[in-house]
Amino acid sequence: MSASGRNGRADNMTAARSRLPVSVVALIAAVGVLIVAAAYTAGRLGYASSPWANRTYWVGQVLVIAPVGARLLSRRRLDASETVTLLVILTVAEYLVKVCYSPTGFTFGDELMHWRSTMNILQTGELFRPNDLLPISPFYPGLEEVTAALVSITGLSVFMAGLIVVGIAHLTYVLLLYLIFQQIASSHRVSGVAVLIYASNPLFQSFDSMFVYQTLALTFLGLAVLAAKHLAAWKTARDRGGWLAIALLATFATVVTHNVTSYVLVAALEVITLGSLLARSRLSAAWASLLALVASAAFTAWIVFVAPSTVSYIQPVLTSAVQAFKGLFASGHSSGMSATVGPLGDEALSAATVLAISVLLPVGWRHAWRHYRQQPWVMAMAIGSVTWYILVAVRLFVPDGTELAGRTATFVYVPTGFIAALAVIRLTDNSLRWPVIRANARRRAPLVVAVAVMGAVMFIFDGLANGWPPYWERLPGPYQVAGDEQSVDSLEIDSAQWAAANLGPHNTFATDNGDFAVLGSYGDQNPIGNITYLYTSPTLTAPDIQQAADQQIRFVLVDSRLSQALPASGTYFPGNDPGNYTRPLPLADLTKFDHIPDVARIYDSGDIVIYHVGEIDYAG
Amino acid sequence: MRGNQADIAVTAAVAALACAAAAAGAPVAVTIVLGLALLAMPGYLLAQLLLGPGTAGLERTLAAVGLALIVPIVGGLVLYAAGVPLHRASWLAVLAGVTLAADLALWLRRRTGWSAPFRWPRARRRLPPRHVAMFGAAMVIAACGVVVARVGAAIQPGPHFTQLWLSSQGVGAGAIKIGVTNDQGSTVDYRLVVLRSGDASTTRNLTIANGATWQVTVPFNEKSGNLTANLYRLPNLSTPYRQVDTNGDKASGL
Repeated sequence: MSASGRNGRADNMTAARSRLPVSVVALIAAVGVLIVAAAYTAGRLGYASSPWANRTYWVGQVLVIAPVGARLLSRRRLDASETVTLLVILTVAEYLVKVCYSPTGFTFGDELMHWRSTMNILQTGELFRPNDLLPISPFYPGLEEVTAALVSITGLSVFMAGLIVVGIAHLTYVLLLYLIFQQIASSHRVSGVAVLIYASNPLFQSFDSMFVYQTLALTFLGLAVLAAKHLAAWKTARDRGGWLAIALLATFATVVTHNVTSYVLVAALEVITLGSLLARSRLSAAWASLLALVASAAFTAWIVFVAPSTVSYIQPVLTSAVQAFKGLFASGHSSGMSATVGPLGDEALSAATVLAISVLLPVGWRHAWRHYRQQPWVMAMAIGSVTWYILVAVRLFVPDGTELAGRTATFVYVPTGFIAALAVIRLTDNSLRWPVIRANARRRAPLVVAVAVMGAVMFIFDGLANGWPPYWERLPGPYQVAGDEQSVDSLEIDSAQWAAANLGPHNTFATDNGDFAVLGSYGDQNPIGNITYLYTSPTLTAPDIQQAADQQIRFVLVDSRLSQALPASGTYFPGNDPGNYTRPLPLADLTKFDHIPDVARIYDSGDIVIYHVGEIDYAG
Repeated sequence: MRGNQADIAVTAAVAALACAAAAAGAPVAVTIVLGLALLAMPGYLLAQLLLGPGTAGLERTLAAVGLALIVPIVGGLVLYAAGVPLHRASWLAVLAGVTLAADLALWLRRRTGWSAPFRWPRARRRLPPRHVAMFGAAMVIAACGVVVARVGAAIQPGPHFTQLWLSSQGVGAGAIKIGVTNDQGSTVDYRLVVLRSGDASTTRNLTIANGATWQVTVPFNEKSGNLTANLYRLPNLSTPYRQVDTNGDKASGL
């Protein structure tokens, strides 16, 4: 069966042209970006919690998503270049929405961590300089190298250069996904819908397009996988040599840029090997397993010779996940549910999406088995999409599983999007043969497409609502106590910059969640976790003092606004803060340092005070 | 020379111009354009070298972008391993060096017929003017969105505050620095009262412009006793507006 036959009429150039040209889609999406920017501005001017400002945001998002979804899912004629243009429109528009959230500087905590690593390269001219905020980051310097190079040769700021680098990387990754899907399914229609579903992953608009190392590593992962596809397919030795060089370079760049992405690259190549063996394609299996071997050797060598701290960085995460699963399988339930619960509407949206994709996958598997059994990469996608159900289990049953599931969604949605796209195309095409539709196809066929578009919008809305930023700061606005991005303003930045200029780098600091990332990045200090005890009692006891000595805390930053509101994120402090606060912290708990001998009050900006506790009499 | 070599000539010229602009201290607008071109060129040339003529346009473009991003990564690691600091000159040398080396390799391959000569890409079909206009309008509207967001960030009501601080950075032993930074949004009159062991030793009236910092170095050592600095925001002299205090701290770590 030909690709066009399998994948519907839209790949067939005999279908009627759409009445919604791609240029009009671009125009509507641009208006959507403008409307979201207006909602953000309303938030900044004090209307962040206003229902109409929130509704305006969602109206803008509908304008970005719905027309793209309508064209990709429509059965009207859509050629390959139009499909690519639609995906570019969606990706660029959502990236601009992210830029509009923080248009003058990085505010997301992870971005601040990489900003620090980049500044270290620019200031010292050296790689691998320590970064207290994310100690592993200097050992994976790919993103910082490219950004530092661009800053150096253009004179742009790190912020502007970073936006350019990650913007290009994100768009390239999305288009690489499109190409891979397109070559697997031999259908730009399936590929376009697959990328549309991929775009509903909760991190697509945020973490995957942030100034973080994963954003760039994903591009290299995509390029390595595309090269692997060509290696198994290309006929001439010259072309094979070129793609082999690209595969090796992209694999090395992935390893140097992000540790987790390099493990995922190996896992992806292994799954492709498995799929190839199932489909009895020895050539594909040989190339995929060879590249998996090379990638494994590369990241092992990198860890052994350059980044040995990777082991201690990744071990707690793995241990925690393994223990949670052990508990889950031993007792049938885990030690606790996810700590973060959003508004009911967001949860309902999430449940509906999980249900819909969970139902779509078996339909996609059936379609893949019936029509693509001999195609190794489709089999690999089918195998890989099983991880969707693991993701759902993690989200539901593992403590803080929402965070872990969210981080893995970037990768899990690749095979899931493809298999779900096969199912969506299959269902929409089949539904047109139903007697009730066929009886009045002219009127009722568009209803089928409308349902599919509504489904796509629902998927992406779920990704936006349950992704990042969290619901309490969906619109940027005034300072929030222990929030995330909304705890970054000039008061925090100035105090951090003062610390960098007057205290020297890498001092151990106790501070709250709101100041943590700013102090570690702009301040180049070493903020640590597990310091709740310093802020939650009116006196500092001898054991407290001993614990502070054990943690080698030299400075304590106190933000008196912690006594004015409950923490937006649920906890005031990094590390072991149990949360569950019913009232703000008493002011006396925060100002007690004024009365402790040998604790100097060295900085005062009103709300923020910094104490030097390095000379405290730890002996009591 | 066989066939068209326009791409080799352009990339070599841009590499040379980018280096010259950096050496001459050209305006940032010029270095931005040349710098972005210089970042992209090694990727384009490597894609020309590695991929055969059968590789489609989108695929070739994406491979070129990926390779362009890989060059500074590998180049930076090589420089670091060689002990060369990663400053502007070294980044320019890496990118221009790879560009010129790839130019030479491509030229040689074209001479021997291994690579096809350069051809300007031909548009398969021309977009109707109304679509071009709509795409243009979309770009303008999206750019307006970013401008609206930037304006919103600029006019967002921010905190107004004054910083008072003690520091021993940059002063010799037996001294300490007291500083005041005004971020109140306008010029403010202050009075600074420095007390030693509770007794006023220095009083100064200060007028500090918005965004400006005033600082003074005063003697301070272990025998000086406690040092307190009270900053009053005039005309209120009853309650210190800001306060810092060594509180028995020997200030060795400040």
